[in-house]
Amino acid sequence: MIEVQQLTKRYGPQTAVDSLTFSVRPGSVTGFLGPNGAGKSTTIRLLLALTTPTSGRALVNGRPYQTLREPLREAGALVDAAGLHGGRTAYRHLHWLAASNGLDRRRVDEVLDRAGLSSVAGRRVRGFSLGMRQRLGIAAALLGDPPTLILDEPVNGLDPEGVHWIRGLMRGLAAEGRTILVSSHLISELALAADRLVVLGGGRLLADETVEAFSDGYATLEDAYFARTAGAVAYRSDGAR
Amino acid sequence: MRSLHAEWIKLWSVRSTWIALGVAAAFTVGLGLADTVSTVRGWDTMAAPDRAAFDPLGSAFAGLTFAQLALGVLGVLAITSEYSSGTIIPSLTAQPRRGVAFAAKAGMLLGTAAVIGQALAFGSYLLGQAVLHGKHLDAGLGTPGVLRAVVSAGLYLTVVTMVGFGLGAVLRHPASGTAALIAIVFLAYGAAKAVESWSYLPSKLLLSNAGDVVAQVHAVAAKPRLPSLGMAYLDLALYLTAALGLGAVRFRRDA
Repeated sequence: MIEVQQLTKRYGPQTAVDSLTFSVRPGSVTGFLGPNGAGKSTTIRLLLALTTPTSGRALVNGRPYQTLREPLREAGALVDAAGLHGGRTAYRHLHWLAASNGLDRRRVDEVLDRAGLSSVAGRRVRGFSLGMRQRLGIAAALLGDPPTLILDEPVNGLDPEGVHWIRGLMRGLAAEGRTILVSSHLISELALAADRLVVLGGGRLLADETVEAFSDGYATLEDAYFARTAGAVAYRSDGAR
Repeated sequence: MRSLHAEWIKLWSVRSTWIALGVAAAFTVGLGLADTVSTVRGWDTMAAPDRAAFDPLGSAFAGLTFAQLALGVLGVLAITSEYSSGTIIPSLTAQPRRGVAFAAKAGMLLGTAAVIGQALAFGSYLLGQAVLHGKHLDAGLGTPGVLRAVVSAGLYLTVVTMVGFGLGAVLRHPASGTAALIAIVFLAYGAAKAVESWSYLPSKLLLSNAGDVVAQVHAVAAKPRLPSLGMAYLDLALYLTAALGLGAVRFRRDA
C-alpha cells in the first residue's frame, strides 16, 4: 500500500511535486506515467525517503519509509538503474543488502534464480549488460519478499524475453495481493502490464483510474495519453500529437 | 549490527580495498627494509651529531609515508564509490536512517583502519628492529617511549584513513576527494612552511607534522616549528573529529 498525501517538493523556485494526493492499492499493477519533468522520479525519491518533502506525507504500508526498521521486508525498489558497483559480484551485491536487513542468505540464491542470474552470480557487475543489471536490480527489490514494489523504468534495456519476464513477474506479484507501482515511458508496455494508472503532469495529478477508464473514447492508450497530457508537456515536437 | 555487517561485506567485496592494503603493506615493508639496511650500512661512517639524533624507529617507518596515501585513498573510496556507482541509493533504501547508515560506514572503516594501522606500524617496527639488531641499534618495546611511538604511528595511519573518509563524504567524488586528501596530508606542508617567518602555528597544526611527532621515540621539544607531543595528539583528535563531524553533516543531505 502506498499513500501520498498533499505531497509537495520544491527545489528553490521550481516545484517538482505540487500537492499530490493519490494511493496505490494492493492486488494490482499500477502504471506511473507522465512526461519528463512531471515529477515521477521526485515522487519515488520522496516515497523512499531519499529526499525530504517540503510539505505533505508519503507513506509505505501506512508508515513513512524512514521509520521502517527492516525496509527491504516492506518495500522493494528499483531506482536509477539499480545502483550497482561495477567491481562487486552480483552475489555480493545481494549479500550485503540481505545482511543489512537481517535477511536469510538463502534469499540471495532464491532471487538470483528467480531473476535468471544464477549462472552469473559470481561475475563482477562491470561485465553485465543493461538488461542483466536491470534483472539484478529487480532481484534486489524482491530480496525481502516485500508486499510493496516500486519499480522505476524496470523495462529499460531488457531484451524481448526480459520484457516478457518482467510483465509476467509483475502480474504474478499483483495476483499474490502485492502493491506494484511501475513507472515507464513505454506506454504500450504499460497497456499490457498495468491495471491502473497514476498520471502526472507538471508535478500535479492528471489521472488516477483504471487503464480502461483512462483510455475510454480513444483508439489506444497512447492516444489517450497524448491527449490528456497535452497541457503539461515541456518538450514536444510537431511530429507527436 | 546488521548495518555494520553490510558495510563489512561492501568493504571487502571490491578490489580497491585489497589493492590499497596491498600497496600500503608493500611500501611499508619495502621502504622500511631499504631505509634500515641503508642506515646500518652507513652507521660506521655517520657523523657524531647524526648518530646522536638517530631515532630507532625513523628508518623503519620510512614506508609509512606511502602507506598513509594508500590508506587515505581507501578512506576516500570507501564512501565516494557509493556516489560514483549509485549504490548510495540501495544503501539508503536498505537503511533509511542516515545517522545509523553513516555511523555504520564510519565505524566499520575506523575499526578496519585501526587494525590495519597497528599491523603496519608493528610490522615495520619488528622488521626494522631485526635489521638494526645487527649493529645493536635496536630498541625493544620496553624502552621508554618505544611502545607509545609504535602505537601512535598506527594511530596516525588510522586518522589519515578517516580524514580521507571525511573528505570523501563531504565532496562525494573520488577525484576531488583524493585531491583534497593529497592537499591536506602532503601539500599543506609547503604552505605552512611558507608562512613560518610569521607564525609556526600552521606548522604545529599540520596533520603530517603531528604524525611525525607522535611516531618518534624522543619527543622533539627542540624544534619550535613542530607541535609538542601533547599538542600533536590534540591535532590528531581534531582532524578525526572534524572529518567525522563534517562528513556526518553532509551525509544527512540528499543523496
